[in-house]
Amino acid sequence: MSAVPAMRFGSGAAVRRVEDPALVQGQGRFTDDFTLPGQAYVAFVRSTCAHGRIVAVNTDEARAMPGVLAVFTGADLAAAGVKPLPFAPGFKRPDGAGAVPPPRRVLAHEVVRFVGEAVAAVVAETRDAAKHAANAVVVEFDELPAVADLETALAAGAPRVGPDMPDNVLAEARYGDAAQAEAAFAAAAHRVALDIVNQRLAPSPMEPRAVLAYLDGERLTLRMSTQMPTGIRTALAACLPGCTAENTRVLVGDVGGGFGMKTGAHPEDLLVGWAALQLKRPVKWQAERLEDFLSGVQGRGANARAELALDAHGKVLALRVRGVANVGATPGPVSVAIPLVIGPWVSTSIYDIGLVDLQFRAVLTNNAPTGAYRGAGRPEAIYIIERLMDAAAREMGLDGAELRRRNMIRPAQMPYRNALGQVYDSGRFEQILDQGLALADWNGFAARRAASRARGLLRGRGIATFLEWTGGNALEETVRVEVTADGFVELTIATMPMGQGIATSYVQLAHDVFGVPLERIRVLHGDTERANGFGSAGSRSLFTAGAAVKVASERTIDEGRQRAAQALEAPVGDIEYAAGRFTVAGTDLGVDLFELARQERFTVSADTKAGGPSWPNGCHVCEVEVDPATGEVQIVAYASVNDIGRIVSPVIVRGQVEGGAVQGIGQALCEGMVYDRASGQLLTASFMDYALPRVDGFRAFKTAFDESIPCLTNTLGAKGVGELGTIGATPAVVNAVVDALADAGLGRAAEQVQMPLTPAVVWAALNGRPSG
Amino acid sequence: MDPMPTITLHLNGQRVQTQAEPQTLLVELLRGPLGLTGTHVGCDTAQCGGCTVIVDGQAVKSCSVLAVQADGAKVTSVEGLAQGGQLHPVQEAFVACHGLQCGFCTPGMLMSAVALLEEHPDPSEAQIVDALEGNLCRCTGYVNIVASVRKAAELSR
Repeated sequence: MSAVPAMRFGSGAAVRRVEDPALVQGQGRFTDDFTLPGQAYVAFVRSTCAHGRIVAVNTDEARAMPGVLAVFTGADLAAAGVKPLPFAPGFKRPDGAGAVPPPRRVLAHEVVRFVGEAVAAVVAETRDAAKHAANAVVVEFDELPAVADLETALAAGAPRVGPDMPDNVLAEARYGDAAQAEAAFAAAAHRVALDIVNQRLAPSPMEPRAVLAYLDGERLTLRMSTQMPTGIRTALAACLPGCTAENTRVLVGDVGGGFGMKTGAHPEDLLVGWAALQLKRPVKWQAERLEDFLSGVQGRGANARAELALDAHGKVLALRVRGVANVGATPGPVSVAIPLVIGPWVSTSIYDIGLVDLQFRAVLTNNAPTGAYRGAGRPEAIYIIERLMDAAAREMGLDGAELRRRNMIRPAQMPYRNALGQVYDSGRFEQILDQGLALADWNGFAARRAASRARGLLRGRGIATFLEWTGGNALEETVRVEVTADGFVELTIATMPMGQGIATSYVQLAHDVFGVPLERIRVLHGDTERANGFGSAGSRSLFTAGAAVKVASERTIDEGRQRAAQALEAPVGDIEYAAGRFTVAGTDLGVDLFELARQERFTVSADTKAGGPSWPNGCHVCEVEVDPATGEVQIVAYASVNDIGRIVSPVIVRGQVEGGAVQGIGQALCEGMVYDRASGQLLTASFMDYALPRVDGFRAFKTAFDESIPCLTNTLGAKGVGELGTIGATPAVVNAVVDALADAGLGRAAEQVQMPLTPAVVWAALNGRPSG
Repeated sequence: MDPMPTITLHLNGQRVQTQAEPQTLLVELLRGPLGLTGTHVGCDTAQCGGCTVIVDGQAVKSCSVLAVQADGAKVTSVEGLAQGGQLHPVQEAFVACHGLQCGFCTPGMLMSAVALLEEHPDPSEAQIVDALEGNLCRCTGYVNIVASVRKAAELSR
């Protein structure tokens, strides 16, 4: 029977990842690991100026240098009909006019709008030759006044980033009822307000962007590091003359982390494709880390004034937010959708808040554009509501967990439609809270605080109870199963591994059905010739494609049963299947699955569609110690209980939550992209200036899962896990630091600290100094 | 043009003679002419440690060493760890403990860990952290990486 191996290796079992043997032996196939005969290299010439008119791009010297094959400028591309990356219709300015951002060109033309924007590209025989020649390209700028941050961009009479707009507000979204909310605030027993800064972040996958473009016959092929192969193909077809979905192909091998940055196409990707088309030879670009900092999309970058009105018992009456997002100079539709649409959807989180008044604005600045970064809108929204909850608890003298409990949506309210119209299918938030408090020994905190104080340290405790929206509104997925003559079950899927181990989870799900050894199941992906779809983003892959794996696998067995019935000359109803073999019930007659495949090719496809997003949720509790002498924050305890529905790969999901939490901790304590206010120069353009968490940070996570609350809108019962840890950690950590500072005598003033809570920021808060 | 310097390496147990420009970095030599792409480049400021290899017993960031400086040295890259189809205990431990996600930083982590364990077969947690301080990972939060190194010490005993 297949039951025994299924328990050991199937869904729910802790298995070794199928991805690992190659990766630990240096046999990964990352983009830059490929070298093709005759391969040339691209180097970009980038703007050194935050805003300026391009007066001249002198390429003569560069063109004459040894090994140089071509130099492209924005003017060349415009003349050839290369189009900017498309924006999306539908976003509106406050005055109702359509939002039209400055064009996100493949190479800047006429105007540059941020430092690092690609202005020209050199292609040469070697990487060194390309870089040297790029340095020889002379770009003459006529500098224009720049706006390097939100405050400057929103000031009256500010220089305009976009040429055809009255100001820098690109788009606005409003939700709720402003008048009713105002009435609720006027009548409320308690009101709290906070200014929130959610700083810009560099996603920083360890593998920077990389593209290798070549012609396969007439067909342009891009081998690259991306989470969305089909989306890249769509962008190529939209921007490059002559390219269509039919005559372009995108291939993806191993992806060294994505975190959202590798979702949509970047201008550089298109240039590499264009260069290969023009030169008719392979062309490679491997981004340097500097280039990822300068022109890769950045995350977050959203400030808000946020207010909560509560009644005398602590029941929230209304939530009001005025948010502004710094979407940079050349935003794409995702840059705007994250702060204006996706974030707002979860702004009331797990709380029963019926009344909202939300206004979010996307603001142009002379920064690089924003894009998806792990959480994409949900971290910003959850940070707001969780900071407000603590502020309200402090205002009312209530325990923060108790105030949250009083406002949680009850299981009996499911399915629950929130104030933004989003429908939660499932969730038992109080059950998760109770487990989180127990795991964290919430009630034992006073003794631990006293012990820390005895050692001269300020201890704080923070909590975040929250949910998030997953699925990217792309809920459909197709899986093709082929049983091969050489003895493999092959799954072809359009989602994209980028380190999350999704192939292992698919293999486990297929193993549930086929019962063949894991080594006999393989997953094919990363090739637009084989499969197309949304790709992997928004924590969608398992609950969309995983569900399709199950259905397609079951249909394959059904098909096999038919064939086995013919081969064995027995009625279909008598055919049984287990562990790779069909048998006739009650006899020893049988035929192997792979033997059937050897007789005739054997392929089955299935698509499934989830009935809605999944709503993973959790309770994260953090304790910190602050050294008052230095302002240094140490995380000393972190407990989380997570509801991600049914779990397929327990080891993997723990890694997702804890690794994700460290990214959230990074935002809370050390990471931040900084542009110089006066010049618009990027000051954090290397890992020496941008502080990623290192190994000496906190690692002793207590992580638990409650599997008793399956998602009801997909057949697996799974909820997306990829972004949960990141979303919970940031507010849990900041709330803990604020708690420590408040207890140290700052009281409500502690709530004014802003991330990242570096020693300098915390010391300044403790010592009553501005931290600028 | 001057002839390119000739470089002899004792690379992953084999004597290798090759030529490289004076300015060629060791990582460029490994990834390019020698075709050993397991050693990765994740930054341009010697911060990420993705390019870590072992040179004469020391874990070294190969982006910060000229190829000519390694002339005559014993160099081990990630490709040299497994022997006869058997994973090295450090590789085995990273697989067993889910010490990697995307795997891009992993070769550098492995090499730093191997060098540590050669010097300290039973390292303390502090020694592990100290040895990995120059290696960045964005996926794992380091939780399972440190656990993997501890496990590798056990497996090596």
